Amino acid sequence: MTLTRERAIDMYRTAWTIRLFEERMAEVYLEGKRPAFDIGSGPVPGEMHLSAGQEPVAVGVCAHLRADDTVVGTHRAHHFAIAKGVDLRRMAAEIFGKVTGLGRGKGGHMHLFDPATRFSCSGIVGASLPPACGAALAAKKRGTDSVAVAFFGEGAANQGSFHESLNLAGLWKLPVVFVCEDNAWAISVPKGKSTAVADNSVRAAGYGMPGVRIADNDLLAVYEAAGAAVERARRGEGPSFLEVETYRFFGHFQGDPEVYRPPDEVARLKARDPLPRFAEQLLRQGLVTPQDLDAARGEAARAVEDAIAFARESPYPDPADALLHVFA
Amino acid sequence: MSVVGILPNPASGKDIRRLVAAGASVDNLEKVKIVRRVLAGLAATGVEQVLLMPDWFDIGRRALEGLRLPFPVTVLEMPLSFTQEDTALAARLMRERRARCLVTVGGDGTNRAAAKESGDVPLLPISTGTNNVFPTPVEGTLAGVAAGLVACGHVAPDACLLRARRLEVEREGRLLDIALVDVAVCTDRSTGARAVWDTSTVSEVIIADVRPGVIGLSSLGAALGDSGRPPGAGLRARLGPGPYRALVPLLPGVIQWVEVASSEPLEVGAAVALDPRWGVLALDGEREVLLTPDTHLTVRLSAEGPWVVDVPAALGAASRAGHFRKPADTGETGGRGP
Repeated sequence: MTLTRERAIDMYRTAWTIRLFEERMAEVYLEGKRPAFDIGSGPVPGEMHLSAGQEPVAVGVCAHLRADDTVVGTHRAHHFAIAKGVDLRRMAAEIFGKVTGLGRGKGGHMHLFDPATRFSCSGIVGASLPPACGAALAAKKRGTDSVAVAFFGEGAANQGSFHESLNLAGLWKLPVVFVCEDNAWAISVPKGKSTAVADNSVRAAGYGMPGVRIADNDLLAVYEAAGAAVERARRGEGPSFLEVETYRFFGHFQGDPEVYRPPDEVARLKARDPLPRFAEQLLRQGLVTPQDLDAARGEAARAVEDAIAFARESPYPDPADALLHVFA
Repeated sequence: MSVVGILPNPASGKDIRRLVAAGASVDNLEKVKIVRRVLAGLAATGVEQVLLMPDWFDIGRRALEGLRLPFPVTVLEMPLSFTQEDTALAARLMRERRARCLVTVGGDGTNRAAAKESGDVPLLPISTGTNNVFPTPVEGTLAGVAAGLVACGHVAPDACLLRARRLEVEREGRLLDIALVDVAVCTDRSTGARAVWDTSTVSEVIIADVRPGVIGLSSLGAALGDSGRPPGAGLRARLGPGPYRALVPLLPGVIQWVEVASSEPLEVGAAVALDPRWGVLALDGEREVLLTPDTHLTVRLSAEGPWVVDVPAALGAASRAGHFRKPADTGETGGRGP
């Protein structure tokens, strides 16, 4: 699959925007929550699930999507939103609970909705699959070649919604790509303790669709496989399933003591950080220059700081509006 | 001591060829069952010890659950890297422990990794991959019996062992890597999803063994015919506009016409220099090594690849020797069998 210089730089910038946004958010989130951790205090109250390390899944898949394609993400969804092109300022503002946010500050970080880019997510495990099937059914009924992508974790693959959605998508040949992020941990439950098969990708065969597993969080491997899956969907050949082995650098949520994790696991995963590996591949192939990559990373850093500043400076919703825009 | 090693690859049978072609999906639970069948076959032969390669899904230990076997089974203690290096390391450890046959459960890549370290220990490859050339589909039980016959010395090596070829990729005279089937230069700028699935990205291919009835890039050899090629020679072909088009069954369910700019025979022992370029080197159908115009590689065709067990030949030789029968009046229920 051809990768142009422009596309490569764009993907690198997006990956670093995600990484820097998440690292910045980890700092911001702790403001006002020390010395005793108080989940309700500080500028970003509530739970926080960060996706650093999982950039290849979002970037490799969303690089193939258009504005009219739908993405439904998970409770850990910042990387998907950024890769789909959601406005970073409005996303940050939503996370800060500000009126300039995607949902006027009433949704928070697990409920990012953006009609402009057809992006949504949910805090409910396994809730991404049915709406993605719905969007795919809509595209099929309308006769367009739009596709939908459902992202979910390997833990969600044991939910009923997973099996129901794959069944309908297989039956109706919906233009949907199911992307399972296998970060090995369903909160604190390892995959081997919850899943009867080694690879969820083989479950796809039971629903009449091809399933592929991509090992080692390899961004360019995801990019190639996702390209094939998206093109299949656009051609009307039905759904596909990708399971991507990915790495969760942070805990399940910020403040997670992670006592369930082997002490050296994060260090081991960070030694396989997908972003430097991506850069190395691009450089070794002469596709980009170090200056290209530095410039892209600089742009990402500026965009993140701009978005955080915008969120900080934005006003909170008027308490009088508390009951407005609550119901669809 | 008759020792057999079993090397199941937990990663085979899951790559992009399920998406871009009609490749079969093989779950690791199926590999567990294959290993159980192999163990059952081995139990019928008098093998004295079995060594298992560990893996992240624990295929070996799962296969052992509930089995009562007439030999000790040892799962190797070794660090796992979760890459093909695990297979190579296990093959080396098994060779050092005097294994007399190594049963591989995987695809071309699995066998390529094992062959790096198997030395003179014969391989018995069971295919679980997609479009494999080196391993062929073989029933696990029969594979186990054949491996046991070889390890116990019940069949003569010259009756059932074949020596495969290998392609040796060299850089500045030093061995960089090997392939058992083919070496291809692809124009991709990354290893991507590993498997080679689009011939438009292939600029040249070196084929170890030109023969019909295979799927994948190496099928190009037989498609081009034998005109002018000495018997037994391998082949080097450059793809692109030129005098020939060849019909190549590249993937399961995918047959493509491929334009061939030139082709030349490659005699055993001879080497060719690859055209330097930006790209990636594919070994046995998997993109492995990034190339730059400064990467000068040669590929040598060697007759000294791994020894391979011919399962029907082994079973046939044992049958002819009366290994599977005995008089009915002995009162025994087992003999050499289970």
